Amino acid sequence: MFEPSPRAVTVVCRIGLVAIVALLVAFTGNLYAAEDQPTAAQIEHFEKHIRPLLHKRCYSCHSEESAVLQGGLRVDSKSHLLAGGDSGPAIVAGKPEESLLVQSIQYRGDGYDMPPDGKLPDTEIALLVDWVASGAVFPGNEVAGVAARSSIDWAEGRQFWSFQPLARQQPPQPSEHDLSNGDIDAFILAKLKEHGLSQSPSADRATLIRRLTFNLTGLPPTPEEIERFVADDSPRAYENLVDDLLASPQYGERWGRMWLDLARYADTTESWLGSTPNSHLYRDWIVRAFNEDMPYDEFVRRQLATDAIGPEEYEHLPALGFLGLSPTYFKELLLPPDIIKVLVADEWEERVDAVSRTFLGLTVACARCHDHKFDPISNEDYYALAGVFASTRMIDRPMIPADQYAPVEAAKKKVAELDEELKKLNKQKPKPEPEIKAIETEIAEIKSTTANFNSPLANAVTDESLHVILAGEDPQSGSKLDYRPEPQDLNIAIRGNPNKLGDLVPRRFITVLSPEQPRPLTQGSGRKDLADAILDEGAPLAARVIVNRIWLAHFGRGLVESPSNFGRLGDAPSHPELLEDLTARFVENGWSIKWLHREILLSHTYRQSSEYDEANYAVDPDNRWLWRMNRKRLDIEPWRDAMLVASGQLDLTIGGPSLAADSDKNFRRTIYTTVHRREVSKMLQLHDFPDPSLHSPQRMDTSTPLQGLFVLNSPFVTSRAQALADRLLRDIPSDADARVHQAYQWLFARKASDDELQLAGAYLQEVAAECGEDAPATASATAWKLYVHALLGSNELLFVD
Amino acid sequence: MTSTNPQSDALPASMLPRRSLLQTLGGGMGLLGAAPFFASEALGGTGSNVVHFAPRAKRVIHLFMNGGPFQADLFDPKPLLEKYAGQRPDGANLRTERPTGGLLPSVAKFYQRGQSGLPVSDLLPRLGEHADDICVLRSMHADNPNHGPALMQMNNGTILPTRPSMGSWFLYGLGTENENLPGYVVLCPGRPVRFAELWTSSFLPAAYQGTYVNHADLTPSKLIPYLQGDAKTPAAQRRQLDLMQRLNTMHLQQRGPDNALEARIASLETAFRMQSDASEAFDLSTETEATKEAYGKGHYANGCLLARRLVERGVRFVQVYYGNGQPWDTHSKHNDAVQNLCKDIDQPTAALLADLKQRGMLEDTLVVWGGEFGRTPTTENGDGRDHNHHGFTMWLAGGGVRGGMSYGETDEFGFRAVENKVHVHDLHATILHLLGINHEKLTFHYAGRDYRLTDVHGRVVQEILA
Repeated sequence: MFEPSPRAVTVVCRIGLVAIVALLVAFTGNLYAAEDQPTAAQIEHFEKHIRPLLHKRCYSCHSEESAVLQGGLRVDSKSHLLAGGDSGPAIVAGKPEESLLVQSIQYRGDGYDMPPDGKLPDTEIALLVDWVASGAVFPGNEVAGVAARSSIDWAEGRQFWSFQPLARQQPPQPSEHDLSNGDIDAFILAKLKEHGLSQSPSADRATLIRRLTFNLTGLPPTPEEIERFVADDSPRAYENLVDDLLASPQYGERWGRMWLDLARYADTTESWLGSTPNSHLYRDWIVRAFNEDMPYDEFVRRQLATDAIGPEEYEHLPALGFLGLSPTYFKELLLPPDIIKVLVADEWEERVDAVSRTFLGLTVACARCHDHKFDPISNEDYYALAGVFASTRMIDRPMIPADQYAPVEAAKKKVAELDEELKKLNKQKPKPEPEIKAIETEIAEIKSTTANFNSPLANAVTDESLHVILAGEDPQSGSKLDYRPEPQDLNIAIRGNPNKLGDLVPRRFITVLSPEQPRPLTQGSGRKDLADAILDEGAPLAARVIVNRIWLAHFGRGLVESPSNFGRLGDAPSHPELLEDLTARFVENGWSIKWLHREILLSHTYRQSSEYDEANYAVDPDNRWLWRMNRKRLDIEPWRDAMLVASGQLDLTIGGPSLAADSDKNFRRTIYTTVHRREVSKMLQLHDFPDPSLHSPQRMDTSTPLQGLFVLNSPFVTSRAQALADRLLRDIPSDADARVHQAYQWLFARKASDDELQLAGAYLQEVAAECGEDAPATASATAWKLYVHALLGSNELLFVD
Repeated sequence: MTSTNPQSDALPASMLPRRSLLQTLGGGMGLLGAAPFFASEALGGTGSNVVHFAPRAKRVIHLFMNGGPFQADLFDPKPLLEKYAGQRPDGANLRTERPTGGLLPSVAKFYQRGQSGLPVSDLLPRLGEHADDICVLRSMHADNPNHGPALMQMNNGTILPTRPSMGSWFLYGLGTENENLPGYVVLCPGRPVRFAELWTSSFLPAAYQGTYVNHADLTPSKLIPYLQGDAKTPAAQRRQLDLMQRLNTMHLQQRGPDNALEARIASLETAFRMQSDASEAFDLSTETEATKEAYGKGHYANGCLLARRLVERGVRFVQVYYGNGQPWDTHSKHNDAVQNLCKDIDQPTAALLADLKQRGMLEDTLVVWGGEFGRTPTTENGDGRDHNHHGFTMWLAGGGVRGGMSYGETDEFGFRAVENKVHVHDLHATILHLLGINHEKLTFHYAGRDYRLTDVHGRVVQEILA
């Protein structure tokens, strides 16, 4: 790779590139061998004073003994000291002033003072300085070929399963008596047989429609829909139901929410951004994209760079909210640039993390401080991508052409000025009514006569690079954020520290996904190039990742169980051929998500009953091989929505600004409940709603007592119980059994059993007796309210078979 | 609470054959009892290599002086501040958030207290009586002189809001001792800056997040979300829950074994019990007059007393924020403010230590005291002090820590930690160690790597262990 020429050595010493340290070491080893042998006095001095000192003060972090080697530096042999760590060689023999080790122990206050828990006594510092000055004699301890971190073997790295090209797979041939409806079933059956498992029969119609409707729309089916489907004897009944549900406008709300978890969507942006509160434009764009079945590749491209693809397609501008609504960290500009640079670098890392995990299932951010420890992603790869985000600025953008927006901007400025004036006038005593009136009229006129005055701004991004510079000349002057129109490449930040820079890395795509030289990401910020790379050389991986996410949302677990990590520390697919084949066909079918849904939903595997089977359970209690359908717990959104449906209160309006979670007027679907980035509402927080400042690959299911309290006592559940009871009493004036049946229909998509009728009767009677009444039929509204409250809190509503 | 209603037995033990993961998340055991369940990325993975030491502390009370107290007012005497008053010698020329001027002497006088002779300021006379139980860390330092990032760091080790708080890590590692109460309670008479981000579980399961209680109002219904509902009597609610559980049991019986269904049934029962247990835990009226008098009056006093009641009932981690906003953030009139603040914390803090000791709980309860950073020895605005992350003081007591000692030193002006420095990571590592956890082994797999509270840092400060 490299000749150990003097030139190579200079390069290495300057930049300390991990990949070539080994060669450097081999070379310096030669230098050392050529040195004069140390004298006995030198050896004695070393063994008596220097080695014990290094051992006592440094070895715990910088030697073979260190549990975690700090800074990549070892000081337990001369060749290690000469090779140095992340910051370069630790000593230059004979030249203490040029030796990092000496600078560090002298505590010069540059952030690399060593040892970190306090300066050494002056005598010890003097010993070490003299030792370096006299040539740093270090007898013994030489290791042949110091064990430096190895460089990445790209050819080997590319062999990993998830980086392979996509290829159709030959589905196994099902047997005659197998329940099989296509290739998915064929692959699943093969694995079942391999493990001595058997399929479950189809679930009954009522179970199927409840499962399917929640799955596709996040809502329960209506009693009429259930009745129609159960009675439909057409062989296409199920298929028609799937198609109807895919065409429902509620479909996009259910699946859009899945995407919003990945995109770390929040309705409120940080106050210091001063942006306009239009986050919902991004949310609504996502919902619409799902409803219109926008091909997934276009869906990705638009979120990263719709402004570069179709600058005039303003209706798509909100797609940039994926980046434009990124979390940001507060920057106190009174502080010096070295502190602010760390925050800015943390933000870039956040973007690399969100983009690489969402679209590629790769944890590229792990390579910010060093090469990825497990995957073939280099430290350089990280900075090659981070440069794109360092050249991208979060900003609100008008959804109309610039020339049309110019007068709007001017008008808004004028209105703001007038508002100020108005404020002042309102403070005067007595109020100068005529003047106030005049200004109010002027404002109203500007608003009504300026075309597009109310055209919203989208939380988007634009191509500008951010540089953190000193605000003034004095180091005490604080920092300034300087945005420049030209993009920037980033230097490697050694150990992730932006105040300690290594080599410059041009913006480009990551190496392992690039068969040849990585694609440069240089047009503007490089966002469009990045999107192209993800969907071209990255396409097999990008497609596998989304197919797995959709599969996961249907079955409750992915074929790959680590949905945002398709690297070595992720899980291998349970059904690799199935994932390959389904993904290949997904791409052939134009990256259509709705095609993918149909393919999955029409399979027998999906339609299986979730019933317990002792023999299968004994072999595969986790249902890894899908011998039955997984019973799934509803997320907070469909669970809350289902209660609103049952109480007859759900407002199905689509889109627009969000509503507060705890508002008693909030009858809208839960996707429209305000998500505060820094303070998620109690209701959402208790029910495993993900932290909206982080990409969330998958919801967790926890069962906690605090959730139990929500069921028992929350105003939300109590009010739904009240409304549901009112509805029953209104719709069914007298018959108690009929009311119970109706409640079961609304909540559980079935009629009540005799046992359940009895239980209800006994309960209502007991409560009614307490209320001073005498029969269930006339039991007080209170008794019914308490009764349906128990139904709302039951497992049957929360879980879907 | 048990009921005589026959339906309350609707859950025969045979229906709950196993303790499942979800019950665990519901507040039972922590990781040490449930490691095998944490396998997938979403639930995170841990190695099976969590190492136990014999724990010295079973629970932690963190008295958080939000805003940041000044070290040389309290436990780190700096007589040179007098000598160089108004001057700005080279050693005091450090950059903090805002420009500062010359050195401003402290109003405090120091006395050697207890058998150990630990220097404690006369601003804390009562606390000084406990000098022999206190281990003062004079050489604390952190990375950022800004409240938000520093608060984040004290709570989660990084300056970012996107990491689990230490209380979440404690619960993840150890669970709680009383599943009828939240295992991690945050008390504040108001709202500390950054609010919920300070006790987030971030990517750890949501069950490990802190439960925030504004204890300025001790009405039970306002303590814990949804602790009380409308006017149902306990008996009426029990009857309603019995019906719900009867339906749940029938539902479960029709479906065969299912951990998730069972876990939810169990969690509803726990919720029911929590209503009475939590209300009882927060009810200060049951304390004796003598105890109430010992703690004194005021929000902070109530916070300390509540903390004792909670840890006594098995809550793993209680954090008491001194007050709304950042009361210790004395950018002006520092010397007036600090006298009032100290007066307010002195008696309750001392009473808490005495109370824990008298109940035999100080041995295995670790008390941590401090702010998110300290303050500058130099003056801001003439009579204020700026934030100082270069050097500040915290103290620990009980839970396996040596009392009557100070560890580490700041420079001659108390500006910067210089000897035996203790970074926030080191503090975290030490607290985990005292809880019996190796900070390098308590990991959670997320986003492609194993995260730790101490990231890649942290040193257990062995020198202060008893």
